[in-house]
Amino acid sequence: MYALTPHCHLSKVLRLSRTCRATATSPARTSTADRRRHLPITTTTPATANDYSSLRSTWAHRAWVATGFASVLTTLAKSVSAAVDSGSAFEPLLAAFLGYILADLGTGVYHWAIDNYGSPSTPIFGPQIEAFQGHHRWPWTITRREFANNLHALSRAVTFAVMPIEFFAAADDAAVHAFVGACAGCVMMSQQFHAWAHGTKSRLPPVVVALQDAGVLVSRAEHAAHHREPYNSNYCIVSGVWNGLLDEWKAFEAMEMVVFFRFGVRPRSWSDPELEWKEETGGVSSE
Amino acid sequence: MASCTSLPKHPLPLVRPTMSKNPASQIISFLSKSSNSQFYGLSLPNLATSSSPRPLSPRTPIHAKVSKGDVPPPFTLKDQNGRNVSLTRFKGKPAVVYFYPADETPGCTKEACAFRDSYEKFKKAGAEVVGISGDDPASHKAFATKYGLPFTLLSDEGNKVRKEWGVPSDLFGVLPGRQTYVIDRKGAVQLVYNNQFQPEKHVEETLKLLQSL
Repeated sequence: MYALTPHCHLSKVLRLSRTCRATATSPARTSTADRRRHLPITTTTPATANDYSSLRSTWAHRAWVATGFASVLTTLAKSVSAAVDSGSAFEPLLAAFLGYILADLGTGVYHWAIDNYGSPSTPIFGPQIEAFQGHHRWPWTITRREFANNLHALSRAVTFAVMPIEFFAAADDAAVHAFVGACAGCVMMSQQFHAWAHGTKSRLPPVVVALQDAGVLVSRAEHAAHHREPYNSNYCIVSGVWNGLLDEWKAFEAMEMVVFFRFGVRPRSWSDPELEWKEETGGVSSE
Repeated sequence: MASCTSLPKHPLPLVRPTMSKNPASQIISFLSKSSNSQFYGLSLPNLATSSSPRPLSPRTPIHAKVSKGDVPPPFTLKDQNGRNVSLTRFKGKPAVVYFYPADETPGCTKEACAFRDSYEKFKKAGAEVVGISGDDPASHKAFATKYGLPFTLLSDEGNKVRKEWGVPSDLFGVLPGRQTYVIDRKGAVQLVYNNQFQPEKHVEETLKLLQSL
């Protein structure tokens, strides 16, 4: 047995893994009985905090992240090249800024939809919904996900979205390339920004903390509000700049009402969270 | 936990033009779907009915719209216990009749709880509070029980009374509007307040008026 940091939920993870990232005083040694005693009640949920392998990157994950980055960087390079040719940087810079702003809104709307509708068995979106469900249950595990594992789903979407847009965009339109590159890049990186928003100040790179404090990236405090009752706000995860406005305008409530009256479907946020979405307490909490 | 998960039995259709005799105002009213709705208490222009003539007193509406000064059309609806309740029951005392979208939705819950929390003030003013939505009596019963609502909830199944009173819809006709009427002792409307997304304000505004009646 070994001493653990009191709030370290990774005790369960450590017993199954040789890689130890928590503050343990001795290497993990467990007996089968120990393992069984400390496993959660439900062991049927895939990709849980207790299955550390699901948080690692695979080569497929890395490949998708590579294609995502390639798409974004190619687009940005085209923008720079076109801007240099045209001699004007103002428009592309403004377009890039708008792309960054819109990415925040887009991630918020998508996040709202995934959090409130569908289930793990929904076609196409099922795996994402299941991942979000797991995240709500064990929020801290996102900080344990390896980089490509965390970003691969968005990278895949960005690859498929950017390619056709770039195919049809005029080569010399610096602003369009800048907008697409910035928006897609921020969307793709939003899961990293999200992970940082679950981090603790002492463990984050100082530059990340500075960007969070400046409002450039979504802050830890702001995102923590999303993981509190009634779980119906602060959905944006790039900069979070839209969170205040969307909540003030009751935009998500309005959309939920429209969906309810049009399709008869209630969002999850209108009811107390189901067991599968309820946060398991006792884990590492973010600030 | 009781919850209303069923599709509303009679979902609202897209807003139809108000029944104006003037063809131009019919076109205008068709275009301005929420002709008199107020988002956040901001009043949108009432384009549809202002051009139509009104008869002199007694002021009964000739259009499907109840406004200040009008005596609203009577109704008899079932309450949460399945009993018939008529508007005439409230004659002789002020009544606050509030139309809301649906039970067990966030705004409606806030509104109902706000009326509940201020119920003593309404009683002190001698007023009755009545909530009306398209939900059935069983839904109202569960809603009232869950939140301890002390007032009457009526089932306007088919949204017939909502249409008769001309309660405007929001968001291009998709959302049933949230509109409250304060009716005085003589049965005439003294306040029409509409605000979809700030439900607690309905309590403030109606109490303010009741205190001046």
